Amino acid sequence: MSVIGILVMATGVGISVLAAYGLVNFPTALSRMHASTKSASLGLALIVFGAGIAGESWELVGLALLVAAFLFVTAPISGHVVGRAAYLAGQAKGLVHDDLAGARAQPARAMPTSRDFSFVRWAGLTGVWMLVWRDISLGTAVGGAVVAGLVEALRGSIDRRSALRAVGIPGFAFRYLGLLVRSNTRVAWEVLTISNAGIREAIVAVPLADRSLSAALLVANAVSFTPGTLSVELTSDPMVLYVHVLHFESVEATITDVRTIEEMAVRVLHEPTRTLSC
Amino acid sequence: MTNTALTVLEVILGLGGVIALIRVLRGPTLADRIIALDLILLILAGGFAVESVRRDSEVLTGVLIVIALVAFTGTVLVGRFIEWRDTE
Repeated sequence: MSVIGILVMATGVGISVLAAYGLVNFPTALSRMHASTKSASLGLALIVFGAGIAGESWELVGLALLVAAFLFVTAPISGHVVGRAAYLAGQAKGLVHDDLAGARAQPARAMPTSRDFSFVRWAGLTGVWMLVWRDISLGTAVGGAVVAGLVEALRGSIDRRSALRAVGIPGFAFRYLGLLVRSNTRVAWEVLTISNAGIREAIVAVPLADRSLSAALLVANAVSFTPGTLSVELTSDPMVLYVHVLHFESVEATITDVRTIEEMAVRVLHEPTRTLSC
Repeated sequence: MTNTALTVLEVILGLGGVIALIRVLRGPTLADRIIALDLILLILAGGFAVESVRRDSEVLTGVLIVIALVAFTGTVLVGRFIEWRDTE
């Protein structure tokens, strides 16, 4: 058991170190963001997961899943915010193609439109609370229920159509993991071969077919984990995602790539028939 | 045996941290520095996870969550700061 755990941890450590090396090796601010966004989160998640296996502690494994979920939400956000800031501050150099130049893009704003109380989410949040306290007792259950209830009552939801379809989730998660592994091997390859020759940076505007903000957020997140692409800007009306590409070939190729991810994301969010009408 | 392996992992992680530190020192822009610092914090969190196996205690995992949270909020805040400072 402990050998497997240590092997998983070693993989995580390797990925983290490669991310650090990529940070030094890649030529521009935006390309460095590719290395850290994709690899650092997977690295840490693997280390914590391996630690749970090696320590034979289910609490630690649960915690690892929690940390992994947290990182997979936050890593693309910090990559997006810093990448966007670097671009706006004029620090994005050496772009072969730039759709964002002169676009004066107004970023999409996620304004809460409705408040709905979901008991499933409430129970889930209570579970997270108990996991973080690492104590399954009446005290943490009540405390968690109160805090989670407050959070659930005060939060607004972005749009009403965002009901997750349970059927689509396993497929999405599976393909998502595939994307993650592929992008990490690719970053690792780039870093190890120390060839920056293949790097042709560009920013491409990708119009999204689906209008809902939650779908756009999911696409932006997945794009940041896909090999060679990173979301840097999202505008609503019309819904356009600006993607930073590390190995630019053509605008069409990038758009096709992102569209594939979008179809994947939309399948999780709503009925497939709805997207056909768009 | 396990102990040695854990030490090796910690040393490699430390090396990764030092490599990332090169980017913090060299810059050239604030965006490069904050991304490198973010990575250093995540590597530190990984170090805590490895150490918690050695000590066979889960006390350190709380620290790990806090580090991940601080890394994220800090990075986003500095990103906003760069935008505010360097545009207009």
